[in-house]
Amino acid sequence: MSTTLSVEKTEPGGAILRDVLRKAIRLRELQLVVAIAVVVAASAVAHPNFISPGNISFMLADSVVTAVLATGQTIVVLAKGIDLSVAPILGIAAVVVGFPAQNHNLPIVAALGLVVLVGLVLGVGNGLFVSVTRIPPIIATLATLSVYGGLQFIIANGQEVVNIPNAYDALGNNDVVSGIPWVLVIGVGIAVVVALFLRHTNVGRAIYAVGNNAGAAHRSGIPVQRVIFATYVVSGVLAGIAGLLYLCHTGSADSTTGTDSNVNLTSIAATLIGGTTLTGGRGGVVGSVIGAVFLSVALTAMVFARIPAIWEPAGVGLLILLAMVTDRHSSNLTARARRHRQGST
Amino acid sequence: MSQAHRHRTPADQPDTSTITVDAYGERLMSTSPPASTRYVASHVSKAFNGAPVLHDVSAVLEPGEVHSLVGENGAGKSTLFKIMSGLYRPDAGELALGGERLADLTPRGALQKGVYLVPQEPTLMAHLSAAENLYVGALPHRRMPFIVDWSRIHREAATYFERVGLDIDVETPARQLSIAQQQLLECARALVHNCRVIMFDEPTSPLTSHETEILFDLMRVLRGEGLALGFISHRLDEVFEVSDHLTVLRDGRMVASAGRDEITRDQLVTAMIGRPIGVRTRVRRTSDVTDRREVLKVEGLSSRPTFEDVSFVLTKHEVAGLAGLVGSGRTEIAETIFGLRKADHGEVWLDGEPLEHRTPRRCIDAGLVYLPEDRGRNGIFSDVDLARNVTAGIVPRLPLRWHLISTAREEAVARDSAARTSVRAASLGASISTLSGGNQQRAMFSRWLLAEPRVAIFDEPTRGVDIGAKDDIYDIISDLATSGLACLIISSDLEELALTCDRVLVIYEGRIVGEVRDEDVTTARLGELVVGGGRG
Repeated sequence: MSTTLSVEKTEPGGAILRDVLRKAIRLRELQLVVAIAVVVAASAVAHPNFISPGNISFMLADSVVTAVLATGQTIVVLAKGIDLSVAPILGIAAVVVGFPAQNHNLPIVAALGLVVLVGLVLGVGNGLFVSVTRIPPIIATLATLSVYGGLQFIIANGQEVVNIPNAYDALGNNDVVSGIPWVLVIGVGIAVVVALFLRHTNVGRAIYAVGNNAGAAHRSGIPVQRVIFATYVVSGVLAGIAGLLYLCHTGSADSTTGTDSNVNLTSIAATLIGGTTLTGGRGGVVGSVIGAVFLSVALTAMVFARIPAIWEPAGVGLLILLAMVTDRHSSNLTARARRHRQGST
Repeated sequence: MSQAHRHRTPADQPDTSTITVDAYGERLMSTSPPASTRYVASHVSKAFNGAPVLHDVSAVLEPGEVHSLVGENGAGKSTLFKIMSGLYRPDAGELALGGERLADLTPRGALQKGVYLVPQEPTLMAHLSAAENLYVGALPHRRMPFIVDWSRIHREAATYFERVGLDIDVETPARQLSIAQQQLLECARALVHNCRVIMFDEPTSPLTSHETEILFDLMRVLRGEGLALGFISHRLDEVFEVSDHLTVLRDGRMVASAGRDEITRDQLVTAMIGRPIGVRTRVRRTSDVTDRREVLKVEGLSSRPTFEDVSFVLTKHEVAGLAGLVGSGRTEIAETIFGLRKADHGEVWLDGEPLEHRTPRRCIDAGLVYLPEDRGRNGIFSDVDLARNVTAGIVPRLPLRWHLISTAREEAVARDSAARTSVRAASLGASISTLSGGNQQRAMFSRWLLAEPRVAIFDEPTRGVDIGAKDDIYDIISDLATSGLACLIISSDLEELALTCDRVLVIYEGRIVGEVRDEDVTTARLGELVVGGGRG
């Protein structure tokens, strides 16, 4: 074991290249892109239709709702929390704007304002329970999952949204330019803004600091509980926006929207597959967005492979397990292999 | 205000007469030029849950000086530094930096005032870069507020790292740094915040001697620049090497304070451990016992880097002690013998039989039991009643009825065993968490006695136990030894070892550095050895 205080000196030529390559291989984002490419290639060989512009556009659009939710989820998880209530927040947002849109032709700008407000209020609820009353996040948001889910039932009152105005439908299903759907542009826009926020603002860095070591963050003068509170508010707002995107994309909303398609699980799955760890402080939204795309591609590939849809939840679960096993920080398996390697050099 | 705080020698501490406190009192009185970084803590007291940890302690960190706090575990050294850095709030007393009174100090406030504590365990953000760790909580921003200025962070971090002698890439994630590098990074952090007072809480305990020298060199440089430095270490060699001034704490009180050249090593040790001895008499001696069959043999046991090449033998009827500082590897040795940790090398023999592939279960079945140090966490099952706590170690051996555990028979077993160690409880069905610390510990003894051990390792057997109950526990141990059990006691309380043990092995930095037996087992002798005084 080395006891000197300097890290190994830089080696010449090929060693540097090898080092860069090794680092790149470890990058979760890159691993995922490769995985996506493999799935796409394999499916395309079996079913050339898989790479038709229509299907690619479909898969990307399909991943946007998950990606926006996962973006919020990632912020919460980075600060060592978890938000199990994104599904009913999405659902409430969808029905709250869905009915006035269907019945009174609510302008889409007002709808946007409304879903942001809904997400804000429900996110504040989560934030208060976690950061003020200090209920462990998994319990607090499990409880609000039920509370908000119940509210969604009450608001929907047994009715369904089946008809949305053209403006909504256009936003959900039309292309900006051929092959690039509006929802994709919105989803990518949100992800870019949040990624920049996390990397380049004081609050963003404070989220990482809190997730890494809340005690040390407090010692450094970071208002830990306020930061945690903020993560739930942001997650709520993004879940609200995801609700609007869902409404526009599918054209429907009812009392179980969100919960029935299990978006809680997929948002967490995309986050974890994207390399953000539940232990906090490590990861980022880029990985989560690629994780969402990977999920969408993998699940579509299952459909193409004629695997019945009832296997979908099992597939998502297996992908989460696969992501954890291959993560060198969370998995005992890979950690052991690494120790072994280090021991032998 | 902050001038003129003469330290009073506590009237109930008469045996500190070897060192005068007056010299230090003069220093406090003197009207030295108003150096802006003179950091004065005066008459500080602090209690946790009613247990006093610090009582009327004063200390001055002078600019251009290294001031060391010395004392046994639990003497209050870390607590004082934590109060001075705003982590704890004092119950009484006040802090003054350069004449300015610091009330309601927070960690944030301390940092702003230029006071920094390098904590015992560096608390860096593992997944953030070294540079970001340097600035975390106060990241410099661009002209637009809240937008982090990464290029400035990386540029300036490099110069700070150079200043503290840290040769790393600024973007290295903190988790890849060694402990020594992390400590240097903490020092750099203090410099980033323009701190004029830096306190080090036992920085050297995880360091190698080479790394320690690098840290000391840096401390000397900082001292030369006029910073006021505080230092805690258990290693007296280091304390004398690096300090300008020494303050000795014992049981939360200041018992001595002097310049380095005004105090000898012997005086320091006496002040550290000099509790009046002889109040309690030695519990027992086994020199009259004739049956000295070897029961436990430990040979060449190693688990690097924690401890290395530990060998010893325990005989029947013997009470042996394992003395050493926290972090010396005492508990780890016991845990390795008991199969809780893996050994790199070495063997354990019980009654002449090798004990291989050790797990707690195998050890218990073979007749070796271990009473863990942290009773709350590793000992009692707090939600369960007394009876179930007593029988927890021998569940597979409980008397059965129709192949099922019979509650009545189990409780009969528990009752007998609890009676042997005179556990006092309302009933066997009482929740163990309602019992006093002493009675909980007795219940732990009765649990392990049920396993009919031949060797017992007691790790801090009287921690969290009041004085009266302590003597009872010593009596229990003594009786057990008389009846043939070989006991190994691990304790930070040297007096306890001196009272109970026939023989004490001293661990220093993971190695057995000395052995004292019979009449030589005194707190003074042990005190010398545990701080590394036995070498050479």
